[in-house]
Amino acid sequence: MTAPGRTAEDSVFVRTYTLTRGRTAPRHRLGLETVLEAGPGRPGPGQAEECARILALCRERHRSVAELAGLLRRPVTAIKILVSDLVDADALVVPVTSPYAASSVDSGAGPSPQMLAAVTAGLRKKFPDAVSYAHAG
Amino acid sequence: MPDNPVAVPRTPARPQTGAATVLKIVIAGGFGTGKTTAVGAVSEITPLSTEEYLTSASADVDSLEGLAAKRTTTVAFDFGRLTLPDAPIPLELFLFGTPGQDRFVNLWHDIVRGAVGAVVLVDTRRLAASFTPISFFEDIDLPFVVAVNEFDGAHRYDLCQVRAALDLPDRVPVVTCDARDANRVAGALLTLVHHAAKNTPASPRHSSLPTSFQDV
Ligand SMILES: Nc1nc2c(ncn2[C@@H]2O[C@H](COP(=O)(O)OP(=O)(O)O)[C@@H](O)[C@H]2O)c(=O)[nH]1
Ligand SMILES: [Mg+2]
Repeated sequence: MTAPGRTAEDSVFVRTYTLTRGRTAPRHRLGLETVLEAGPGRPGPGQAEECARILALCRERHRSVAELAGLLRRPVTAIKILVSDLVDADALVVPVTSPYAASSVDSGAGPSPQMLAAVTAGLRKKFPDAVSYAHAG
Repeated sequence: MPDNPVAVPRTPARPQTGAATVLKIVIAGGFGTGKTTAVGAVSEITPLSTEEYLTSASADVDSLEGLAAKRTTTVAFDFGRLTLPDAPIPLELFLFGTPGQDRFVNLWHDIVRGAVGAVVLVDTRRLAASFTPISFFEDIDLPFVVAVNEFDGAHRYDLCQVRAALDLPDRVPVVTCDARDANRVAGALLTLVHHAAKNTPASPRHSSLPTSFQDV
């Protein structure tokens, strides 16, 4: 299947394809922002080396799918496939964050007005010198 | 059928006390408009460059060859995060810096799902680079603000001129920014959050997205 001139791209693909043992889609529905924490389970035998790195990172603190993919320098889909395996083994868990956030991401709606007010308050505390333009433009 | 995520129940979530609520904000703009700089100015981690496959809806993913064609190209976006521990509830903001090209549109749907909104960074020397993100956010009804980065040596335009050149309606805030300055970037984020609060729609946004974007 290797066409001339595409060797480098193909080898990236083959490396990732091997990493996920031929799988092309994750078993679980995971977003870029889905947060993972280390769980009580152990990954099954024969897992990719990347799984050990994912677990080590999630033991330090919770990590999002986007962050894990960036840290491991692997495409998001490949990371989602490995994370799904680790969730099945209970080695990773998805913590419940907040009812607002979970439901808004599910429905595709934006955050609630209460949530937006909380972001404003949190940003103001963190950046007291920031100037916002409520009536900008 | 392990490769079909639709057949699998939603990932079980575990009750966990003290877990912060996660919110997403998009930092968009053309090449060199200051996206990575802006993410880095407020992020608690050095911005990560995260890759994803460039997908095309028509690719044949059931064959290895179709899959290879679909997956040999990747696009990259910036990822940064900041905690807001002093908010009324513990919050964590995830920042996604995304380039403005059309080829990003598939990934944008994943990035904007449930997001607060977007800050579109603009370099007045290359306004056209901002057209794609602006029309995308308008189309999907995502709240956005325009932040004009004042690059050294660039002519300073009046913000009204920028608004007119970008054909922005009056309700879209246009502000000046300096992506290198955390307080200025935080100001643009606050302006966005204000704007989003004024425009919180009664019904869910992007409900018109094809269901394929809502899964996986
Ligand atoms: N004067 C000025 N320079 C900036 C500003 N934002 C970014 N830069 C510089 O512009 C260059 C490109 O910024 P970068 O963040 O890499 O742009 P990106 O391609 O959108 O990620 C860098 O050298 C930055 O230091 C700004 O607000 N003002
Ligand atoms: Mg960049």
